[in-house]
Order: sequence, then C-alpha cells, then structure tokens
Amino acid sequence: MKRAGTYSGILSGGISGKTGPHLLPLARIKKIMKQSSDDVKMISGEAPIVFSKACELLIEEITKRAWNITVQGKRRTICKEDVASAVITTDTFDFLVNLVSDSANSQESPRP
Amino acid sequence: MELGGNGGFHGYRRLPQNSSAGTKAPEISMEMPPQMNQTPNTNSVTDDTECTVREQDRFMPIANVIRIMRKILPPHAKISDDAKETIQECVSEFIGFITSEANDRCQREQRKTITAEDVLWAMSKLGFDDYIEPLTLYLHRYREYDGGERGSLTGEPLVKRAVDPGTYGFMTFPPVPFPMAPHHGFFGAPPMNGFLKDPSNAGPSQAAVAGIDPPHCKEQGLELLNGGGK
Repeated sequence: MKRAGTYSGILSGGISGKTGPHLLPLARIKKIMKQSSDDVKMISGEAPIVFSKACELLIEEITKRAWNITVQGKRRTICKEDVASAVITTDTFDFLVNLVSDSANSQESPRP
Repeated sequence: MELGGNGGFHGYRRLPQNSSAGTKAPEISMEMPPQMNQTPNTNSVTDDTECTVREQDRFMPIANVIRIMRKILPPHAKISDDAKETIQECVSEFIGFITSEANDRCQREQRKTITAEDVLWAMSKLGFDDYIEPLTLYLHRYREYDGGERGSLTGEPLVKRAVDPGTYGFMTFPPVPFPMAPHHGFFGAPPMNGFLKDPSNAGPSQAAVAGIDPPHCKEQGLELLNGGGK
C-alpha cells in the first residue's frame, strides 16, 4: 500500500479534498474480500479503494447512530449495546443483526 | 463453539479450522480446505498465535477504525473497547456481504474479476444507495489523481493553471492554501525553498514570501514561479 508522504498527502488533500492516503489498509481489505467466499478469484485494483471509502462511511454512520443513542441515555461513552441498537434500528444494517447479538451474547447459539 | 451457518457469511469460517488445529504444520496444510491456502498461514506457530494471526487478518486494524470514529465524534465522547471491536467486526462483515453479492454478479456475467463497478452495484442493490454518490465521486477523483500521477508530472487535469510544473519536477501547484506556516517556506516544500534561496531572486522573492498571507499565496506564488518576483 502506498503511503503518501506529508507533502503529497497535503497535495492530494488540497486537490480532491478526500483522496490521497487511504484510511484503511488496502491489502487487508483485499484479504477480507477473498475470505468472503471460496470462489472469489480476482479483484481489480480499484475495488479495495472503493471499499476503503465505503467502510469509512459505514463506520461513520454506525458511530453517529450509536452516539445518538448514547446521548439519549445521557451518557458519554458509546457502549456495545448502543452499537447494537443502532444496527437493529437501521434497515440497511440487517445483515449485521446476528453479529451484534452474537457479540452481546457469545454464549448463546445463533437463532436459526 | 461453532458459529457457522450465519446465512453463509464468512466471518466464522475459521473456527472449523481451529477445531482441527493443534496438529503439526504439515498436517494442517493437508487438512485445510483450498480457501485457507490463500491466506498467509504461519504454520510454524502455536495454536494461540495462529488464532491471533487469523484474527488480525479478518478485521481492519482497530487503530484505523478508532481514528475514523473519532473524526466525527465530539471531543468529549468516549468509546468502550467492546464497541470498538463490534464495529471492527461489522466492517469485515460488510466487506464480505458486499463482495459476495458482487462476486455473484461476476459469475452470472462470466467474468473473473470483481471490479469497482461491481462493488458499487452490489452496494446499491443491498440498500446502500446513499453511499453510491460519494463513492463514485471518490473513485473518479482517485482515477484522476492516480492517472495524472502515473501519466505525467504535469498534473494538468487537476489544476488548471498556467504553470510549467515540468521545471519544478513535481506534479502540480495546489490551488488551495493549506495550513502550513508560511515561514517554513513555500508551503513547506523543500524544492521551493531551494528555488527561493537562489541569490538571483533573493531580495524581492524573500520579501514577498515573508509577507505572504495564506489567502494570497497562490497568486503570489505563481508569480514568483513564473517570473521570480519581478
């Protein structure tokens, strides 16, 4: 993964505002993509780059929603339950529902 | 503690492998399903370390995740460790979820390579429409930036200025002043410092630099570049 130096980092930040050094490591993204299914063969160079930004957006969205729940509860620390609530109350995060309830209850077997 | 069968998502596939772990390296490599051969197995380590390595491979680095979270949270907000880990897991699940869908599409269309467009299509199909526009923009900018960098040093698509960057040997001159102290020289770029310290341009150039306010930098800077401060 190319790590832009300070100048080129600022350069790219100044031009595009957002591109430049990626916040998430591309090699790791690629690895996780390959793990998702046995028959993932080849991945174009740009796909991890799209994912790096998409994951950033996802993290931001979950965090924002979780924080809203934290604030409603008059607290300042986002806890796992806030994250779980944020996931459960958002339709697009349905695929994460099992994950957050498994995280919360690691002893239980998953519901069929 | 098998947690497989979560609608086919990948996250827990490593567990069956762990249950058979505890054997020596050669046996592991023979027993593992083909998919596992793709992951970098440090077969020479113990079970615990192997679990750790695989754990790291499965998720985004937590420091990066935290950085992104803190970007949008107010300064006084705190995040519990298990919340951080949960989000870390969510990210990996998201990648797998989208990739599966994109991969299915590729297979239907008999293509072998998952492209950025496939990823975007899968996101749109799975309900992440809101992400499509910023991602498309991001991808276009990336293509412009990266294509410009590799193509030539002129950086023309990026900055439309009458500058001859070939003289200075780097891409382009940023149109936006960024928060670097002016007294560090020209936007803190070493090559420019060298240029400014050229005795033939010493007097007026340095005075101009010294007096530069960031909002005026770009115009004065370009003048200096072009004429050396007339």
